[in-house]
Amino acid sequence: MAKINPAFGKELNKYGAVNFNACYNCGNCTAVCSLSTEDVSFPREMVRLSALGLEDDIKASLKPWECYYCGECSTHCPQEANPGELMMSIRRYLTAKYDWTGLSGLLYKSLPLSLAAFILTFAGVIAFAFSVGFELDKMLKFGHLFEGIAIGTIGLVILMPNIARMWYFTILKPKVKVPFMKYVKSTSELFVHMFTQKRALGCDDNQFRWLEHFILVIGYLSMLFTTVALDWFGTTNLFVIILGYVMSAIVFVVTVDFVSSRMKKNKEVSKHSQPSDIFFVVWLFLMGLTAFMVRLFIDLDILEMNKWLYIFHLTVLVQWALIIVPFGKWTHFLYRSFAMYFAKLKE
Amino acid sequence: MEKKPKKIGVYICHCGGNISDYVDVEKVRQSVEGEDIVFIAKTTMFACSDANQRDMVEDIKANELDGVIVASCSPKLHQLTFRNVSIRADLNKYTYVHANIREQASWAHSDNKMGATEKAIHLVKAAIAKSRYAEALETNKIKATKAVAVIGAGVAGIKAAISLAEKDTEVILIEKEPFVGGRVAQWDSLSTTTESGKDMVKRLYNELLKHDNITIMTNSEVIENKGSVGNISLKVRKTPRFIKASACHPDDLKRAIEVCPVEVPDEFNFRLNNRKAIYKNYPSEYPQIPVIDIKHCTRCGECEKVCKAVNFSEKEEILEINVGSVLMATGFDSYTPEYGEFGYATSENVITLPQFKRLIDTQFDKLVYNGKQIKNIAYIYCVGSRQTEGENTYCSRNCCTSTIHAAVTAKGKFADINNYHFNRGLRTYGKQEILYADSLRQGDIYLQSYEDGLPTVATEGKKTIVKINDILTNGREIEVEADLVVLVIGMVPRSDNSTIGSLFKIPKGRDKFYNEVHMKLRPVETVIDGITIAGACQGPKNITESINSALSAATKSYSILSKGELETDPLVATIDPEKCTWCGACEAACPFDAILKVENGKKVVAEINNSVCKGCGMCAPVCEPDAVNLIACSSKEIMSMIDALV
Repeated sequence: MAKINPAFGKELNKYGAVNFNACYNCGNCTAVCSLSTEDVSFPREMVRLSALGLEDDIKASLKPWECYYCGECSTHCPQEANPGELMMSIRRYLTAKYDWTGLSGLLYKSLPLSLAAFILTFAGVIAFAFSVGFELDKMLKFGHLFEGIAIGTIGLVILMPNIARMWYFTILKPKVKVPFMKYVKSTSELFVHMFTQKRALGCDDNQFRWLEHFILVIGYLSMLFTTVALDWFGTTNLFVIILGYVMSAIVFVVTVDFVSSRMKKNKEVSKHSQPSDIFFVVWLFLMGLTAFMVRLFIDLDILEMNKWLYIFHLTVLVQWALIIVPFGKWTHFLYRSFAMYFAKLKE
Repeated sequence: MEKKPKKIGVYICHCGGNISDYVDVEKVRQSVEGEDIVFIAKTTMFACSDANQRDMVEDIKANELDGVIVASCSPKLHQLTFRNVSIRADLNKYTYVHANIREQASWAHSDNKMGATEKAIHLVKAAIAKSRYAEALETNKIKATKAVAVIGAGVAGIKAAISLAEKDTEVILIEKEPFVGGRVAQWDSLSTTTESGKDMVKRLYNELLKHDNITIMTNSEVIENKGSVGNISLKVRKTPRFIKASACHPDDLKRAIEVCPVEVPDEFNFRLNNRKAIYKNYPSEYPQIPVIDIKHCTRCGECEKVCKAVNFSEKEEILEINVGSVLMATGFDSYTPEYGEFGYATSENVITLPQFKRLIDTQFDKLVYNGKQIKNIAYIYCVGSRQTEGENTYCSRNCCTSTIHAAVTAKGKFADINNYHFNRGLRTYGKQEILYADSLRQGDIYLQSYEDGLPTVATEGKKTIVKINDILTNGREIEVEADLVVLVIGMVPRSDNSTIGSLFKIPKGRDKFYNEVHMKLRPVETVIDGITIAGACQGPKNITESINSALSAATKSYSILSKGELETDPLVATIDPEKCTWCGACEAACPFDAILKVENGKKVVAEINNSVCKGCGMCAPVCEPDAVNLIACSSKEIMSMIDALV
């Protein structure tokens, strides 16, 4: 027995859904989707569940994560109901629901609140810089320390509980029985998808977008490793220095294409970009660029100028680590791969 | 009859191989060319080709032939073609005889060429036998009254009347109810147009009044029908209004309604409220005079005291009218759900779509029913239509659109309305699809089932729960707690259809609506000559479709009478008064009511009404004294054909 909740549509609209009510259930979207299969069929079903407001079903579903948004469904929709963007909005909605703090939901739904968070973190960075008398060495040392602490804390306090909640909603609550050994045996699925996003290759004509995204992920993770584990800004090891330059360059060069398509709105996937999507790519770009510049200034020994540049870099870093990673679009990195893992468990 | 022996031409068609692949057409030709009256016998690749038709005309003229036979396909296909060839060659078209050797020989016996050829020879010989006696015939001409009775003054009837009047035809518009406008007058808002039903009726009525040649008879019913196409005489019973027009001030009339102590359920508002015994359904209703419902009036005399126009001495009148054609536009009834069907009459939260439409028309700000504010509305579609167990297997066509229109109107007019449509597949065809799209965009929810999984309506305490296994959600059971359940009832034939319908002998289809001759090619004619049908009396139609059929029925009725005389087919039955003993067997056998019982001065005999007789021949075999003779199918002709065949 399921009760209809017509108010749910309004909630989804806040996450960016547009006009999905216009759906007349023809199923063209599902027919053209190259990832949809007979057993795991979408997006029409998700459109239907959204129109009826069957929230529990939506929360229990992994299908939103199994869509990689090529946009074919929206292009072919005779009612212009934007099924692709609906799937995207459900992913935002689910991100908010998985998050035990509830902050994700608030930030997704309110742009002013997101801006306030950015301003607050900026003020924090300035206050910190002031407290250490704007000394570059101290700031660099703190920045390095902050990175390590932030990764550990956010991973343990926010991200892991959220993954556990995702598991609860999709496996435990719908009473899916999974033998323990299956959890162990399927782990490879998790890592393959986390590092390759190979499912995205299944989307038609998506090879270039997949490659771009793949390079970006590898570049981002390597840059993270270089700065956090190998202390790029503090090292004298030439190999590490060059590695850092290459990786941060990859990050800001590749993101240019992502930022520009979000701005131009020329692809189905970028037509309905939400602030959270824009923040994500812009901050990634800024992170790569400012990191590259900071190291360059260190190497060129332009220390006075570098102080201000580093404050800028630190601001971007703090905002990234405290806003975008735990409560923003960054989490799709985890949820997508865990969804593939859980889907394997459900098989 | 001419004395000299007949000379005829026989043409045997190959039909490009359709015939000649199985029938040896040359052998057929050889076996008939020796017949006494056969002057020419030819084979031809395509008898219907222009070249062959020209050759036939030349042959007839050059050889002074008296008739021709073509042995080819079915007469349904080309009899008319070759009758026209005869006309072009200055022969009477009834001298032409057709033989069907394709459907009846080559196609039917493609497994047996010898037999097919043999049969073809016999068929052609039979045609020759018929041709021997075939006579030149002239069409019958009957004088016709250039007037049409239009029965039913709904939008279809009014529009037909106007259309006929514009063609200088006398029109008598007969309405059973005291007011014109029919069902459309009941609606304040219509879909796809911004004009209300009432405004539309007002516009049509004003147009009616512009035509001097239209007589409007309200409160009137046809009680007798005599005669046939061209000359139909009707008796009409006119019930008085008991109110004399213009004898009293409108305010006094208003007061008369106020003082009336009698209250009866208001059918105009689908019994949602009561009306008085002296009443008018809505202020601008036409004609603008109220009426006294004499069945419910107690003659208390209260109205007489305040209004001089009330006149109880008015008497019922029987009027006789003569017309040439009758146009039926009697409309439909709404389906009445069975007791308990989806909670009808058993749950106080269940109403019908027409009631719901009146409800939203008559309320403002808040939608209230039974003292309760309505927010969640469940519409159950196809109630009384597309039945799998009942008799109404047809789709009522207008209800999907009508419901969605009502739902969109309700949502626009009242706050916090949620619409849930429990449907069986939507049929908002054509431009009406836009309305469906609007309703989806405004957030209406559509739940669908097949006919074997209909929604259920259950009452739990004061709550009404509608459940469905929704096929659009993988058959999941979904429930809605509805404040109001609206049963989307379809159209059914009018309950008085049998009375007026049998008066005119209009045949009904399996759905019990009036039946046309041919659904596609003769959509407004009935098998009764001169009787046309328009609007929803023929089957469910929306306003647009009703008006369309009204205009074509008007054209058809007009075209019958336009010349002032009718030409009828000479192929009819005749009675030999010498032999006839009037036993009545022919009258009973005749499906068209074409046989009259007359006194011819010497005795009582049967007489054929030529304008009605279709020449079907039902009367001929039942006549014991053999007094019936069918023109062009006389016993002589038929017997000689049989002789040729066996």
